[in-house]
Amino acid sequence: MAVRALTRGLLGFRYSRAATVASPCGGHHYVTAPSVKPPQPQADDVTEKILNQPLEKPDFFRVAELFSLKDLFDARVHLGHKKGCRHRLMEPYLYGCRLDHDIIDLDQTMEHLQLALNFTAHIAYRGGIILFVSRRRQFGHLVETTAMDCGEYAHTRYWQGGLLTNANIQYGPGVRLPDLIIFLSTLNNVFQQHVGIRDAAKMNIPTVGVVDSNCNPSLVTYPVPGNDDTPAAVELYCRLFKMTINRAKDRRKQMELLHGLSAPTS
Amino acid sequence: MAGSRLERFGTVFTRVRDLIRSGVIKPKEKPLWYDVYETFPPKRPPLHVKPVTSLSAKKQGIVPEIFYSEDKIRTGFYEQYGRGLRFLDLSKSNFVSTCQRFVDKYRELKSHGMLDNSSLFEETAKALLKEGIILRRRGAPPVLAESRDPVLDLKLIDMLAEQQSAGTDTTKTTEDKTS
Repeated sequence: MAVRALTRGLLGFRYSRAATVASPCGGHHYVTAPSVKPPQPQADDVTEKILNQPLEKPDFFRVAELFSLKDLFDARVHLGHKKGCRHRLMEPYLYGCRLDHDIIDLDQTMEHLQLALNFTAHIAYRGGIILFVSRRRQFGHLVETTAMDCGEYAHTRYWQGGLLTNANIQYGPGVRLPDLIIFLSTLNNVFQQHVGIRDAAKMNIPTVGVVDSNCNPSLVTYPVPGNDDTPAAVELYCRLFKMTINRAKDRRKQMELLHGLSAPTS
Repeated sequence: MAGSRLERFGTVFTRVRDLIRSGVIKPKEKPLWYDVYETFPPKRPPLHVKPVTSLSAKKQGIVPEIFYSEDKIRTGFYEQYGRGLRFLDLSKSNFVSTCQRFVDKYRELKSHGMLDNSSLFEETAKALLKEGIILRRRGAPPVLAESRDPVLDLKLIDMLAEQQSAGTDTTKTTEDKTS
């Protein structure tokens, strides 16, 4: 799979309609989204078996081994914002409030993170397109390199209104939309909910999002309550997502080799 | 492909499920994530929650305040000794601050059970002094004050006054001598 990073220019830049393919080094140059055709539905029993086998076990990809509660604590995932910034809907996920400073319940975070990573792994296993979104300028480069390392896509620039809802006109007919959107911060630069969450819900795309104590977790399919401001915490999330996606993709190749679908490379 | 853009009604899953059930989406066109969501649903269905503007809703759902029994000792420490002489290095997870050492010593002495509460504070401070930690009271000079160099306390005005008085004395003595 060609490694591409879908980057975005500044507001007002118009793309050329020429079908270009980005170079493997993936710099900050502008490319159009390729019109990828959906995977051909193979009526193979083997493919069905490959797709359904992981669903039988609760943790087929063993994502629970990738992190522990101590790792989350050391990365300062439990630190929320001040009491005044608290969102009403985040109250069930908070452990308590220490001198006006919200502390997120890491036991709940562990469970939510395990569910989120498991879902991501299954989507990557099935060859789904994953889009990383974060509007935090501090971590823009980190998110883009993470996406590049997994072989998936990232969008860390200004989100144009019709990106998902008007994709057929903006990118040409028959565009394949992402199958999963991962938000490393659900807020935009003016501390409002990112438009992408509402748009993904509109286009029936599931979302995984890191929700801090000032975010609204209601529309996110798999919310992960945790700190989204500290560099240590964001690096941890990026590392975990990268490892799960790579693991899932390698597993898929292994399964295909096992069942003799693809020729083994020497 | 058909879809439903009503994000405020039901969840992503319920909408797609109903579209498949009614036949709008063919089973072959099922989205990639459908089976995975069905097998591993989230803890809470991602329903849209209407923002409540009435004030009565704020009283529901209380987040507990976190306080420990050692906080009483800590407040006493910070009231008497201010911020403490040693800085807090939070980058290390096993770091023990001056306040924490004070608290540990206090609890140790309390567990021995021989002293009462009023003198326990002073006893803890003395015990820490033995270990080499100097505690400076707020606003007061340090417990072990080093002697200031007396030269620093001299003022120029006093020196000039002394010289002048010495000068008048010498002239007087010379006058006495000459006369």
